[in-house]
Amino acid sequence: MPKGQNFTSPGNGTAAKPRRTKSLNGSQGKIAALFLLPYLLIFTIFRLGPSIAGIYISFCKWDLAGSLSFIGFDNFVRLLKDTNFHISLWNTLLFFVFTLPPLIVFSLLLAILLNQKMRFKNVGRVVSIIPYVLIPAVVGIIWNWMYDNNFGILNYYIKKLGGSSVQWLTSDKMALISVSIVVIWSFIGYNMVLFLAGLQGISRELYEASMIDGANKFQTLMKITLPLLRPITSMVTTLTLINTVQLFDQIFVMTNGGPGTSTLTMVQYLYTSAFQNYEMGYGSAIEVVILIILVLLIKLQNKILKVDEGV
Amino acid sequence: MTHALKNSWKYILLVVICVVFLFPLAWALVCSVKPEAEILSYPPKWIPEIFTWSNYTTVLARYPYLDWAKNSIITAGLGTLLILLFSSLAAYALGRFEFRGKKLIYSVIVAMLLIPIQAYMIPLYLMCAKMGILNTYASIILPSVANVTSIFILTSFFKGLPKELEEAARIDGCGEFRIFAQIMLPLSKPALSTVTILTFISNWNSFLWPMIAIREDTLKTLPVGIAQFMGSVNSNAQFQYGTALAGCCMAVIPTLIVFLFLQRYFVEGIASTGIKG
Repeated sequence: MPKGQNFTSPGNGTAAKPRRTKSLNGSQGKIAALFLLPYLLIFTIFRLGPSIAGIYISFCKWDLAGSLSFIGFDNFVRLLKDTNFHISLWNTLLFFVFTLPPLIVFSLLLAILLNQKMRFKNVGRVVSIIPYVLIPAVVGIIWNWMYDNNFGILNYYIKKLGGSSVQWLTSDKMALISVSIVVIWSFIGYNMVLFLAGLQGISRELYEASMIDGANKFQTLMKITLPLLRPITSMVTTLTLINTVQLFDQIFVMTNGGPGTSTLTMVQYLYTSAFQNYEMGYGSAIEVVILIILVLLIKLQNKILKVDEGV
Repeated sequence: MTHALKNSWKYILLVVICVVFLFPLAWALVCSVKPEAEILSYPPKWIPEIFTWSNYTTVLARYPYLDWAKNSIITAGLGTLLILLFSSLAAYALGRFEFRGKKLIYSVIVAMLLIPIQAYMIPLYLMCAKMGILNTYASIILPSVANVTSIFILTSFFKGLPKELEEAARIDGCGEFRIFAQIMLPLSKPALSTVTILTFISNWNSFLWPMIAIREDTLKTLPVGIAQFMGSVNSNAQFQYGTALAGCCMAVIPTLIVFLFLQRYFVEGIASTGIKG
């Protein structure tokens, strides 16, 4: 909600400038309600309602009979002591740290390449987005096969080049990096599109001016392109963080959080708590933590996207 | 460096990029038409010695694969249609009408933009259980219809259309619904195409919620069925790479075709929102 506006009662004017009442206003309100009703009904029941209810459930205990009893902050106190939750938070952070720099560097370089005057650049654009549109769970299975220790094609090539085979998904040191590679591979094209949109928004005149000033290509990149792309870079950073917080599908089919707990993510721990151990209250507490992390991100993202300009 | 050499550089890079992004899919396709014995032979070969469809027939015979496909088509398709209908109506009101509380409604909707289903799926599950719709198509479709990206894209599109469009029609005495259906909707084909592809692909690919909401094997969607029966996680005694890869290939080909046809809109959708459908 934009700052400086209160919506306590529909009667008081918002902070925005008071509108002249149009003759249509009354009838427009009724018509608008009709247009909005079907969507708002579904939105409230299946999205807004559950999001708010989750906060209440996180203060409750859910027994196997399926009744809720209020227990205050107990779930959160338990979370603070829960080693598995700490590990899942830490792994989520590691996934972020491992995927973000390569994503920014590769996506930006790819966008710069595909922004050049060249034939077939559209082929490159389309092909690089393909990994993003494939079913993530399926992508996980395909990479499982490539990562296979004995028959996997990746180890075959590594041995051919004189290396020794890598325990991609079976060593706890490697597994998180292996999954990160899959995540990077999936998202490069998506982020490339964002950078490309940013590049195309930079006016040609700036480049011409810097050429006249005698700047070389590298200086132009450092002095013009990168500073102007900063909003896109922060957007990519935020989106990567959101994707890391949500990470589940690929991991479910690749490592299921293992070996040990080396690739356990927050959503996976949430899934295990709520839908395998049936601790709905405890699971909701994890959801609330995810929600808090995301709300902080939305604040950041709103600054970048300026969604408040809305209507 | 001569101009030609400089240019060939770019094309070499382009080829490398295409190889990197297409490699896993190509390798999966190649392996899916090999018999299992050849898949597990060393060294791996790009040209199958024996070409066979047996993995595909095995998938169809051993698993309720066609049911999964049907469930995926129905839930993703119907979900997308409902999103188009409900979101375009709501976005039209938000983009073109003046009424009290509009800003509030819009900010509440947009505030949910970045809150994924993972952050509210437990209450959603409990509610669907109360409503008695778990294990039905409704439990997959309805939550997906509460889509926010579509509102975001369509509202800004409708806002940008010139006022004169409907004024003439209004003077002629057309009703608001008729103006919307006969004047506005035909004009919004590009925005609707963007919403169609973003939401269809995200519905088709969704995994976690459908896995939670559906227990019945024959009601599962493709990603869930494939992951539970062919992923290595819950691998059963019958687990084989060949059948798993055949199942994977069949599941991603439809999205690839849809994507290739509508890729221009897909790219526009990403560029305009930066958020998944």
